[in-house]
Formats: sequence, structure tokens, C-alpha cells
Amino acid sequence: MDPEQVDEFVMGYLKKKGFNSAAKQLQEALHHNNGGTFNSTDYHNDPELTKLIRSFSQSENDPTRYRDGYSKLRSWAYNSLDLYKHELLRVMYPVFIHCYMDLVGKGHTREARAFFNSFRKDHEMIHLRDLQKLEGVLVPSHLEEMEFARSLRQSKVNIKICQYSYDLLLQYLHRTESTLMLGIINEHINFQVYSGQPNSSSDDIDAVTIVGSFQETADHINQKEIQWGLLEDSLEDRLEKTGSLLSDSEKGQGESKDGDVDDSKKRSNEIGKQGSSLKKLKKDKAGNATAKVARQETSIVSPAPRVKPELALPVMSTDVEESILEDLRNRVQLSSVAMPSVSFYTFVNTHNGLNCASISHDGSLVAGGFSDSSIKVWNMAKIGQAGSGALQGESDTNDQNVGPNGRRNYTLLLGHSGPVYSATFSPPGDFVLSSSADTTIRLWSTQLNANLVCYKGHNYPVWDVQFSPFGHYFASCSHDRTARIWSMDRVQPLRIMAGHLSDVDCVQWHPNCNYIATGSSDKTVRLWDVQTGECVRIFIGHRSMVLSLAMSPDGRYMASGDEDGTIMMWDLSTARCITPLMGHNSCVWSLSYSGEGSLLASGSADCTVKLWDVTSSTKLTKAEEKNGNTNRLRSLRTFPTKSTPVHALRFSRRNLLFAAGALSKPAS
Amino acid sequence: ELWKGEEKMSIVPKETIEVIAQSIGITNLSPEAALMLAPDVEYRVREIMQEAIKCMRHSKRTTLTASDVDGALNLRNLEPIYGFGSGGPIRFRKAIGHRDLFYTDDREVDFKDVIEAPLPKAPLDTEIVCHWLAIEGVQPAIPENAPLEVIRAPAENQIYQQKDGPLIDIRLPVKHVLSKELQLYFQKIAELTMSKSNPSLFKEALVSLASDSGLHPLVPYFTNFIADEVSRGLNDFLLLFNLMHVVRSLLQNPHIHIEPYLHQLMPSVVTCLVSRKLGNRFADNHWDLRDFTANLVALICKRFGNTYVTLQSRLTKTLVNALLDPKKALTQHYGAIQGLAALGHNVVRLLVLSNLEPYLSLLEPELDAEKQKNQMKSYEAWRVYGALLRAAGLCIHDRLKIFPNLPSPSPSLLNKGKGKVINTEPNKRKLSVDSSENRSPRKRLIATDGSDGGPSPMQVDRPTGDANPPQNSVHPSSSEQASGGNAPESRNAKENQGSKGRTITRKAILDQIWKDDLDSGRLLVKLHQLYGDRILPFIPSTEMSLFL
Repeated sequence: MDPEQVDEFVMGYLKKKGFNSAAKQLQEALHHNNGGTFNSTDYHNDPELTKLIRSFSQSENDPTRYRDGYSKLRSWAYNSLDLYKHELLRVMYPVFIHCYMDLVGKGHTREARAFFNSFRKDHEMIHLRDLQKLEGVLVPSHLEEMEFARSLRQSKVNIKICQYSYDLLLQYLHRTESTLMLGIINEHINFQVYSGQPNSSSDDIDAVTIVGSFQETADHINQKEIQWGLLEDSLEDRLEKTGSLLSDSEKGQGESKDGDVDDSKKRSNEIGKQGSSLKKLKKDKAGNATAKVARQETSIVSPAPRVKPELALPVMSTDVEESILEDLRNRVQLSSVAMPSVSFYTFVNTHNGLNCASISHDGSLVAGGFSDSSIKVWNMAKIGQAGSGALQGESDTNDQNVGPNGRRNYTLLLGHSGPVYSATFSPPGDFVLSSSADTTIRLWSTQLNANLVCYKGHNYPVWDVQFSPFGHYFASCSHDRTARIWSMDRVQPLRIMAGHLSDVDCVQWHPNCNYIATGSSDKTVRLWDVQTGECVRIFIGHRSMVLSLAMSPDGRYMASGDEDGTIMMWDLSTARCITPLMGHNSCVWSLSYSGEGSLLASGSADCTVKLWDVTSSTKLTKAEEKNGNTNRLRSLRTFPTKSTPVHALRFSRRNLLFAAGALSKPAS
Repeated sequence: ELWKGEEKMSIVPKETIEVIAQSIGITNLSPEAALMLAPDVEYRVREIMQEAIKCMRHSKRTTLTASDVDGALNLRNLEPIYGFGSGGPIRFRKAIGHRDLFYTDDREVDFKDVIEAPLPKAPLDTEIVCHWLAIEGVQPAIPENAPLEVIRAPAENQIYQQKDGPLIDIRLPVKHVLSKELQLYFQKIAELTMSKSNPSLFKEALVSLASDSGLHPLVPYFTNFIADEVSRGLNDFLLLFNLMHVVRSLLQNPHIHIEPYLHQLMPSVVTCLVSRKLGNRFADNHWDLRDFTANLVALICKRFGNTYVTLQSRLTKTLVNALLDPKKALTQHYGAIQGLAALGHNVVRLLVLSNLEPYLSLLEPELDAEKQKNQMKSYEAWRVYGALLRAAGLCIHDRLKIFPNLPSPSPSLLNKGKGKVINTEPNKRKLSVDSSENRSPRKRLIATDGSDGGPSPMQVDRPTGDANPPQNSVHPSSSEQASGGNAPESRNAKENQGSKGRTITRKAILDQIWKDDLDSGRLLVKLHQLYGDRILPFIPSTEMSLFL
């Protein structure tokens, strides 16, 4: 090759790639040469280099090179040794999508489509959602327009790989002179090489998630300090302190207990049914025995630290406080051997219009939000009295439920002007908040059956709203990618949390009220400090949209459920996933921890309620480091419903599990 | 370059863009513009659909509706498309003559009809029904709950718990509660099975058994019932047939987990296959029952053979024992043959064909009308013979089918085929001579039987005899031994191949094919020896052409 030509190619290449300073230097050097002071640089004489340069200079626009390069790399990776295969295969996905986007970017729509279709099968299992998004990108302008594509183009993927695999890959790329693939890999993959044997777990989640540019930010954010403990002087705290004392006094009052039954009967509108409250008390008696043991045990295992509230919390009336304390004292202690009872509220005749369901803390009120903008609230205590048979499972309750004179026995709340996407009860059950596609949040009083306040602030449909554990404050999240904190007495939000890259789909309060967690369509969960409005944790690992969140009562763990049916347990302090819980095969709509945090209940679109043992996980965290075994969480029970997707779940303070869903006709 | 042609720019065809342009009044859209627009249209549509999926998720649904799409358009501040939010699924029809053009089916409604029609019933109001999904972790068996799960053998879960040591959770099994409805259902089915008076209703019952989802709790009762009735009613042909139908329906039901009860069920089924007496020997068509049961047995083996590894081996052992025991009745032999035949060709080849020769010699005297005076016995013997012939024939048919249709029949292969025929010729002729005395009665019997409509042996013999001389002239040195004749042939062919300079791998493959071919050739020869020309209808025509 003519030396002049080579210089030209090098020049052109450098400019094209944007190495302007290098180009300038080269130009200067060439000028020098032209001056004739010394011989031309050695790359003119090195045949290898010339070849390499020529390969660069080959029409870069030839679309077949991507296909050839990729399919060669692919077959090489698939034929590699099993030991290193899964690590090498991990590289394929980023290479694949960047090849595709390069092709699109250069305007080879047809070739890009063909390339995409011939290899998409390889990646469908893990990256289906992303593929579906990318599939529509066909013209260079789409690349610019679509945020997801943009973030992919700008960011690097982190891939953990062992030294040997890394060497293999580089060797291969150099040997076959696949400069194109090498270029893509250099440009978009950030290898984290470690020494030693390759990781055996091929389903290492961190390894395959493409997180965009914020991996470093996420690492940085996750360094921040958070205080996950319970509030000092909370009711639980008080109960724990006085626990031994109370249990002693209970022993002393053995006989007077029957007197208590009457009391609690009056007060407890738990399900409003006498038979069941009697039954419950029997259970409670049995439960108490184990409770004491377990209580001591838990206090030894994990004394949750106490933290100060950062918000001015509302003052609870002594009545409410007393009833909560009573509930807590009568809580059935649950574990893998003591399962809860599940009471299921089935919505019938919803005509496919039920968007959300919510159950009050004591299970006596049930609210449904409908796509015709209405909210309906049922008082189960009243229905229970009218037809107490319902709870015993007699089938003829349908007739009894239609009240006398044809009057409906729910309260209809009208006010929204779009589908209602979420509803939440204040802890005592006197207020309901609802959020809707009309971008507003409305506060309703269950005593007056009227709308009190309309909160405007979001610019797009509000997907979720949640009362704080102490009431008064509430959090909402929306399609506008923000989450907001509000208080009942102000029509403007107190804080706006911005940072998610896509819709914020669900929100949940931390038990100590100092944090909220948000789940998003960008497949991450974030934890925000309520006081400062800062993001303090990013949880990366879900493979699809996050639909539900729950916080463990001790504030240490969080569970999140996604569209695919995966549930992840997170340690808040480390932002690491303890273990994914696989079992559901459709959207997990709802999650709830039992009162003492030993069980997690999940409700899904696959018409089941599942119970998971989460104590074993939390207990074994220390042993985990020794074993390295992460598959510890287990599914305890699966309760299939007949044909009812489970929309909402709630453990009452006494650990009775309430579930709700709309009966849907099977497809056939 | 190949793949360029296959892919279009976009899944939205140019024609669609043109049609839409026309519909909104743009008549002069150039084809290039339409082509350029197509990818962008696809991108927008996908974008809207992804937003629509979000709306669907937040409505807690798993099926996309028109209202979700409207919601997505709303998110983008676009006017929703009115007129589709009816709730029900929209039916699209294909425009005739266009590949990818659809329209919604709009019926014309007469205004008068609408006005005069009675008001539709008001939809029922939303209600909440409450029930216990579980009580202390156990699902109560109430109608509101899904049917009880199968009572399983200790699963991993329990094993896991035992490892935990102190956490062992020993609970007595759930008391088996049978609801009133199920009890009635069982009684009714049992009655129908026993009564035999109402075949159409019984058919309905079978359909119900095969499809209803809530029947699992009844399975142990049904298996018990079947076992009892089979052992009691061996003389009642119709009852037995009904019972087998019930078994089949139970097997067909996808909601029933029948595996744990198979061991109880199998003896009754096998009884209906190989019992000496099933119903009346003369009046009832117990052959049908045996055939039906044979298929049933095969079905069971196919479905549960993977989980019960010993199932098929035990079954074949039973059947082969029944077949090879000369003391057993012919009816039993028949059942065993049918059972084995239903299990597949490999079973037949390994177990039946290997015993074919001694068995047929045993059967020979029974077939002979002169030696066997008992009409019934001789009829039975012919039934057995027919079953054997069918099994062997299907087996050889299957075997010959394996061979590729001789992709490019090289002359050497053709030679070989001919050689085979030549080798068999003398044997056949010998056989035909040997059995010439038997021919006429056999023919007569077939005629009376009416089941075998094939050409009479003599007629088939003649053309082969005609074809014989020219072949003999090609290969004058045909030997008596089939193997002896074939070996030099193949060696010869191999040399041919070598001389043609083919690759070694090719040769190896051909060797293998020849070896297989040789095996089946031998088999064919053997069968032909045993059966004469009755085997010919089973041989595929392409093979036949080689054969002749």
C-alpha cells in the first residue's frame, strides 16, 4: 500500500472516531516528515499493521460485516468450553444490541431487521422486554428519540469475567481480526476482570443487567447511610418493653380473660363476625404460648435499632392507641409451622372494571377503584352481620348480599374523571385516598362518605398512592416519573422525588416513616429520604416493571414483585438482593409482611396467594457468607383461588391475612 | 444477500400506508413516501402499544383492551380512537383480495328494531363475597375454593423440613371430605355404567368424565369401582366394555392426576385384555373389547412410561408369558398379541417376531380345518393368525419405511434389491409346494371369514414367477442362502463405490444402511417364508417395486 494512502486512512479514521487531538498530532508529524528530517514512521513497513489499517479502511458501511462478525463470535462462544461458556455468552447480548443499533444508525433498516430477527431468540429468555422496545427502532431518528436507546448508546455495560475467559475472548478477537466486534466490545463493555475460576452461577443477576449510565451513580448512592430501624417510642417498642410484664399479668388474669372476650367483641370489628372472633381468640391463646418464646428469640436475634422520626408525626388518640396495643398483644405468632388464616374478599360482577382493591388495617373496610372513575367502599362488618354465613363458606350468600329494598350495600364515591388506579385507607380507617388517571388524588371521608380534598400536582396519571404508617402523610407516584410526598392539610406536595428513568409504578412507606420506596418501569426500586428528598438507595435486579413493594416490619428488608412473577428480597442497608423468590408465573400485584416479619404473602395474577418463609433467610444471613448458598427462601404454601387474580393483600395487626380480587371468567 | 430479500423494511406494508392516506384524503402520496413512512408508523404503533401495556398493568389485567390503547393515546395527549371501547373483543375481518387489510364487522341495525326491542336486563351490581381461602394454612374444602390439590407423597418440602430438625411439622393428612355433589355424581356414573340401558346418556357421562375439572377426589372411588366390577362381571361383556370406556375417559381428563392409582387400575385393564373368557364366547364380540383395551394399555404406557419405568417391562412380561404359554386359550393369545402390537413396532420385532416361528408351528394344526373339527376353535385360531399377521406386517412396514426413499438409487442398490428377491424365490417356491395341500382350505376359510380381501395367493404367485427368469439370467449364480447371496453383492457394491472414488464416510453410511437393510431384508424373507404372500400388502409400494 502506498504510504501516502495509509496516512490518509489513518487520518480519516481518527477524525471519524473523533480523536481530534490525535489527528492533529499526526498531521503535525506528517508535516515534519514532509520536511524530510527523518524517515517515515515504522507503520509503513510493518505488514501486519498495514493489514490492520486496511481492514479498518474497508468500507465501514458494509452491513454484512456486522452479521458475519457477530455470527462468528456467537458460534465461537457457543462452542467454547462449558466452564467459560456462560461468561462468554454474557458478552453476546450487549454486542448484539449494539450491532443492531449500529446498523439502524447507519440507515440499513432492512439488514438491521434481518440481523435482529435471526439472533433475537438467543436473548429472548432474559431480555424480552428490552428486545420488544428495541424492535421498533428502525430509523436513525428513532435512536435519538427513544430514551432507552439513547441511554444504551451512551453507557457502558459492566460484565464480570474471569481472567481466563477475558484472555480467551481477546485472543479470539485478535486472531480473527474481527476489529468490528472488538470495537463494539471496547466501546460498550466495561470488563471487571477477576482472577481465579469462573463463577459457577450462570444466573448471576448482576452479570446480565444492563443498567445504563447510572451503575457508578448507583454504587455511589448506595454508599449513603440509612437508618432502617424502628421509631423509638413506637407502639411496638412500647409493647416489647412491657411485653414480659404484660404476659405475666395475663397469666394472672387467666380467669378474667373471658371477660375480655366480650370487650374485644364489641371493639373488634375485625371481621364483624362473632363466631370468628371466638375462634380467633382460641387461636390467640394457642398462639400466645409460642409467641412468648418467639418474642424472646427475635429480641435476641435482631434487636432492631431505634431511630428518631424526621417528620412531625400526628398524635394518636388514646382510644386508637389502646385498640392497636390490644391488637398487637393478641397477635398470632406466625412461623413456618404456624400458618395464618386467609380471608378472601371476592368482587363479583365487576365487568372487568376493577382496577384496584384496598383493605383497611383491620379488614373491616374494603375499597375498590373502578375504570368508570368510581370508588366503592364496602363495610364488611355490616355485611357480615347481614349474612354471617358468608364467612362460613355457604354458597347462598349472594342473595343475602343484595340488601333489602334493592339498596346497594356499598358506599359509592364519585368525583374522579378517569380510571381509579389506586386507593388506600388511613390506619384507623377514617379516610380513603384515591389516585386516578385524571392526574388528581382525592381524599374521602368514610364517615361522611364525601370528598374532602382534591390534590393536584402530578401532570400525568397517578399510578399509586399510599398513606404513611401513621397517617396524615401520604406518598404518590405517577407516569410523570416522580414520586411526591403530601400531607393531608396541604394541597401542594411537600417533596418531589425525581430520578426514575421511567414511570414510577408503585410506592411504599418505610415503617419508620423516614423513607419511601418506589418501584418503576425502569426495572429499579429506589429508596428516598423523605426529609431531604434525596435518593438513598437504588436496587437493581428486576427484569421487568416493578408492580408491588412491601417493607418488613422491622424495617430491615424490602420485598418487591415484578411483572414476570419474580419477587426479590432486598437488604436495605446493603442494597443487595438476598434472594429472588421464584414461583409465580404472572404479575405479582401485591405483597405483605406478617406482623412480626416471619412470613411474606404474595398475590398474583396467576390466581394464587403464596406464603414465603422469610425468617430462615434473615436468620441465615451470617451463615450465608460461609456457605455461599443463596437458595434459602422457600415457598411454604400456595393457595389457589378458583379463578380470581389476587389484587390486594393485607395482614391485620393480629396477623389475619386478608386478600381481595375480582372474579374473572376463565378464558374458555 | 440472501437475507436481504426476506426482510421487509417494516411490518407495516406500504399498501396499508396508502390505504390510510386515501382514507384521510391524501390521494397523491408517492410510493417512496409510503415506504419511508412505514418504519416510522411501526415505531409509533409499538410505542403506543407499550404505553397501553402499562395502562393494562395498572388496571390489574392481563389482557389488553381497546380502553388501554385509548389510555395510552391519552398519555401522549392524543385524541383517543372512539367507537371501540365496547368491552367485548373486537372482531376483525380480512378484506377479500388483500393480504394484510382488515376491517371491523359493522352490522347494519334497523332503528325500528332497536327501539322496539325489550330493554336488556340491567347488569348485576358489583358485590363482595367473602370466604376462607385458608384456615391456619389449610384450605378448607368448600365450593368457593379451587378443587383440592392432589394428595401427594411426601414432597421435597417435607424432606426439607426434616433436615431442619426441630422444625418438623407433622400434621395428619387432611380428612378426605367428599361433597354431596360429588357423591351423587359418582353414584350416577356407577349406575349408568352398570345399567347399559341408556347408551346416549352414558356417552355424555363419558364426556363429562373426560373433561370435568373437579373430579379428582373421586378417582380412588372410581378405581375401586372398576376393580370390583371387573373381577365380578367377567361374564358381562357390555359391563366390561363400559368399564373400559370409563377408564379411558379418566385417562383423558387433563385435571385428574391418575398416576398414584395406576397400580390399582392396571390389573383390571390387563384382565380385559388377556382374560380367557370375556362375556359370552359365541354371542359377544369380545375381540373388539380386547382391541379397545390393547389401545388403552398402549396409551397408559405411552403416558406414564416415563414416570413408571418398570411399567412397560412388567406389562410386556405378562403379555409375553401369556402368549408363550401353550396351555393358555387362544383368546388369551389374541389379547396378548394385540397388546404387544399396540405397544409399538419395536416391541413386536423384539418379542413377537423372535417367537413367531415356533408359535406358528404350534398354531398350524388349529388352523387346519381337517385337523381341527371344532368350528369355534378354528375360527379363534384364524383370529389369532390374523392378529399375528397384522402385527408382523405393520412391523415390517414400519421397518421398511425407515429407509429413505433411496435418494439416488445407484445401480448397485438396485442390483442388491433384485438379488434379494432372487434369493427368496427358491424358498418361496419351496414353501408354496410344502403348503400346497393347505392352500385350498385356507382359501376357503378366508373367503368365509371375509376379512381378508387380498388377492388369492396363486394369483400373486404367477407374476413373480414370470418376473423370475429374466432376473435369473442377470445373476445366474444365485445361491440358496439369503445371507450368502447378499454378502458378495454388498462387497461387490463396495468395490464399485471405491472405484468411483467416493469418500470413506459415505461408504460407512452406506454400509450401515446396508446392514440395516440386510437385517430387515432377512426379516422380510423370514416373514415371507412364514406367511407367504399375505405379507405383501404391508410392504410399501416403493419397496415392493424393488422387491418384485
